[in-house]
Amino acid sequence: MTPAGALLTARDLRKAYGPTHALDGAEFSIHAGEIVAVMGPSGSGKSTLLHCLAGIVTPDSGTILYNGRELSAMSDAERSALRRTEFGFVFQFGQLVPELTCVENVALPLRLTGAGRKAAERTALGWMERLEVDDLKGKRPGEVSGGQGQRVAIARALVSGPRLIFADEPTGALDSLNGERVMELLTEAARSTNAAVVLVTHETRVAAYSDREIVVRDGRSRDMERAI
Amino acid sequence: MTTLSPPPTAPHESRAPTPPGLVGSWLRDLGIGLRFAVAGGREGWFRTLLTAVGVGLGVALLLVTTALPNALQGRHDREMDRSELRYGDTLDKAADDTLLFTRVDTEFRNQSVRGRMLQPEGPRAPVPPGLNALPKPGEMVVSPALRDLLTSSDGELLARRLDYDVVGTIADDGLVGPGELAYYVGADIPGASPENGADGRIDSFGEVRTDRPMGPVLVLLVVVMFVVLLMPVGVFIAAAVRFGGDRRDRRLAALRLVGADGQMVRRTAAGEAFAGALIGLLIGAGLFLAARQLAGQVRLDYVTVFSHDLDPSLLLVLLVAVTVPASAVAVTLFALRGVVIEPLGVVRTAKPSRRRLWWRLLLPVAGVGLLYPMFGQGDGNGDFNQWMVTCGVVLILIGITALLPWLVEACVNRLGGGGLSWQLAVRRLQLSSGTAARMVNGIAVAVAGAIALQMLFAGVEDDYVEPTGVDRSQAQMVVSPRGDSSATEGLAETDSRLRAADGVRRTMPHASTWVSAKPTSEDSEAQVTVGSCAVLGLMAKLPSCRDGDVFAVDGESRELAKPGTKLYFEPIWGSDDTEAPPWTVPASVRAATAVEDPMGNITGGLLVTTGALPQEATSTLRGEIYVQIDESVPDVREHVRNAAAMAGPYTRTYELQATQVDDDFRTVRKGLFIGATCVMLLIGVSLLVSQLEQLRERKKLLSALVAFGTRRRTLCLSVLWQTAVPIALGLVLATVVGITLGAVLLKMAAASIAVDWAGVAAMAGIGAGVVLLVTGLSLPPLLRLMRPDGLRTE
Repeated sequence: MTPAGALLTARDLRKAYGPTHALDGAEFSIHAGEIVAVMGPSGSGKSTLLHCLAGIVTPDSGTILYNGRELSAMSDAERSALRRTEFGFVFQFGQLVPELTCVENVALPLRLTGAGRKAAERTALGWMERLEVDDLKGKRPGEVSGGQGQRVAIARALVSGPRLIFADEPTGALDSLNGERVMELLTEAARSTNAAVVLVTHETRVAAYSDREIVVRDGRSRDMERAI
Repeated sequence: MTTLSPPPTAPHESRAPTPPGLVGSWLRDLGIGLRFAVAGGREGWFRTLLTAVGVGLGVALLLVTTALPNALQGRHDREMDRSELRYGDTLDKAADDTLLFTRVDTEFRNQSVRGRMLQPEGPRAPVPPGLNALPKPGEMVVSPALRDLLTSSDGELLARRLDYDVVGTIADDGLVGPGELAYYVGADIPGASPENGADGRIDSFGEVRTDRPMGPVLVLLVVVMFVVLLMPVGVFIAAAVRFGGDRRDRRLAALRLVGADGQMVRRTAAGEAFAGALIGLLIGAGLFLAARQLAGQVRLDYVTVFSHDLDPSLLLVLLVAVTVPASAVAVTLFALRGVVIEPLGVVRTAKPSRRRLWWRLLLPVAGVGLLYPMFGQGDGNGDFNQWMVTCGVVLILIGITALLPWLVEACVNRLGGGGLSWQLAVRRLQLSSGTAARMVNGIAVAVAGAIALQMLFAGVEDDYVEPTGVDRSQAQMVVSPRGDSSATEGLAETDSRLRAADGVRRTMPHASTWVSAKPTSEDSEAQVTVGSCAVLGLMAKLPSCRDGDVFAVDGESRELAKPGTKLYFEPIWGSDDTEAPPWTVPASVRAATAVEDPMGNITGGLLVTTGALPQEATSTLRGEIYVQIDESVPDVREHVRNAAAMAGPYTRTYELQATQVDDDFRTVRKGLFIGATCVMLLIGVSLLVSQLEQLRERKKLLSALVAFGTRRRTLCLSVLWQTAVPIALGLVLATVVGITLGAVLLKMAAASIAVDWAGVAAMAGIGAGVVLLVTGLSLPPLLRLMRPDGLRTE
């Protein structure tokens, strides 16, 4: 049964890579504007869960409903369009295009939806100001620090006004100070736009920024609120 | 209470290490690099293998090239050993050590078949190399390739022509190559002599050894050809050494983390490249040995080479063995100039300083400067300094590799606008224009060299390729009976056989001889051509004609053709004066105007219809039959040759060609074709590996881009632009440099400068085609790399 008013729900997700069962009956749901942390040790299946929820990877079985639409029933092109227009992404590293400047990186999702370069970069610069990285607009990713790079990535995730942001270990490569600042900016920005956030992390201090926690272990998920 | 044992003492606490000297540091760091290369896990092995295979391919090609002069010399030596050429005239008298030979060469489906008919005149007659004994009459000794062909279904038509008993095979020392089609057939023709059918009488083979030196222009062609073919191989090896450089840098960063300084990691990188080059040398040697073994079975444009001929000179092998690893180290150190390798896996490229044009331009300018003193030396007996030619051409072509990064940088920095795929590509090129330029360096050098050679070939072609004047619309083949068949009966018999052959449309038999005003005179001769009215009509505009008519063609011999003049047939060849048959020019002789015959010749003298020729004169005639064939009939030429062979062993058949190509020129052109094929393949492989390598490096990024919704088409187009922009610039530069080099070479050869635009377009098109092919081949892996599951790291 779908939780009432949920933006995204997943039921009985199963996914195997060869003999390894990355997901083994995982469940998930998130409401608009909610921040949910997906926690678990390395290799527990949390990143696979995120990839399945975002339509990046197709599960072997189970259902994922986004706004009442079944993800697995969509074509690859439809899922790509969904990711372009409704979702935003922040990964641990390796996500910024090294040859583009920071402002061009932030403007990229808008350009993918057909916006002109100038208009896209104007909007991008606005988000960079909010995330305090507007001074980096002409620099390339190789010329900025890890924390700055993550803030540029968050600006990029938010620039197209997504309803759902997927963040996979967004502070994994940062020190604690930078990590906290990045989380503050991410959650503040998400709340201000009423965007939901699926936050994959193995750090409890990062998970503390969420409204709810889900623990994934051996491919199965458990809602911590209900356990409590 | 338990007491903990003291911790182990670190070596430096017990003994202060002695810092190694410069050589020691180099050796230590090179050693680390060597270990990295072979013990660096799967990643390390993959990189080493990429480099080694790349270097190996280049080394194998270098070794083959260095072995070619020996191979060609071996072929030439054996050709000379079996030659029947003699100093002085043919031997006059038969003896117990003499041999009559007749060249009975033929052709089969565009392949030459070397044939010799041998008739010993005594028990000590010489035996050609490759044979144990002379074949008996009716027996034939054949080359292994000809034996295979004759016994196969493909060779059925040829087997009908060479209808002799095969009693053995010719050994290697009697053949120029393993694929050569050759045979010796024994004969016992009564009355045969050099004057009657046979080509000559000899008492030994291989008496004359000609080492005809090539003309200066051909030398220039060969030297330039070698440089043009080997330069891209060098560029390829340099590129191969840098395969997987980014991953190597990440591993080196780990070394920095444990305290290695910048110099140490550079030396370690050099050690890794050295290891790759060493393994590459071994792979190259292995590939060369394999190629050498297979050489006998490889046929390129009908040229085959014995395995034992492919022996590179020791000096050149040593040169390759030293130069390749040394270049690998030099290229690696050069490539690391602008790279700062830091700990924690951080690899940052230092902001490259703007590329300067002036020193890059110096290279081609210096090249032209070296070649300038040799302008015009190709005329007459001039001689080229081969080292200066080599250095000059190398400098000009290396100039491309120096100029291209500057050109790419200068152009892409000015590019902007366009769609997202264009933006991604342009930004990528702006960030790493050097990588893009390096990818197309090899192809640009090859195209420039090919354009220059094409211009040189086209410019000097007139000196080596002469139009024969043959009108192939009237006749495509000529059959020439000799010996006993030269009489009109023999000609008629050959003609009837030819007319019965499949695909023959028309035959034009005619015969010729000479007449003179006196039975002993060699002066005032006139040619006499005998044939039907139809055939004589091919040689002159006849007023009208019927059998029995005689025509005098305008020309110098008009005086002899006056009615009533008494003439003698072939006075010089008669053994005494009285044997020359006399003939009186009939009163009915009429004037005719000569036209070019199908062979492109103007026939002079007298045209005599068959009925007007005295019977006694027929023995002096030499016959020839023009044959018009139906090209649509399969194997029509072979049917004609077979019919001609049935008429007699001495009958020769030629195919009429519109042009005649100098043998040396043909050999050089063949060499270029073979070499260019190998180089283009090598460059294609190099491009593909570089392309895949770059895509692999960007796997994570490509997956991330696809994850947030980037269309695959956008990314594919971006990859295409990234290749297309540098290749377009590379081809423009290659065209400019190629035309300049071509013009310089033509100046040296003292030929007029003309740009063969069709050739230029063809060469540039081939270059672009290779790139398109490589891009096409890299698309499937690109699509695979763009799968979102590439984000998985576990």
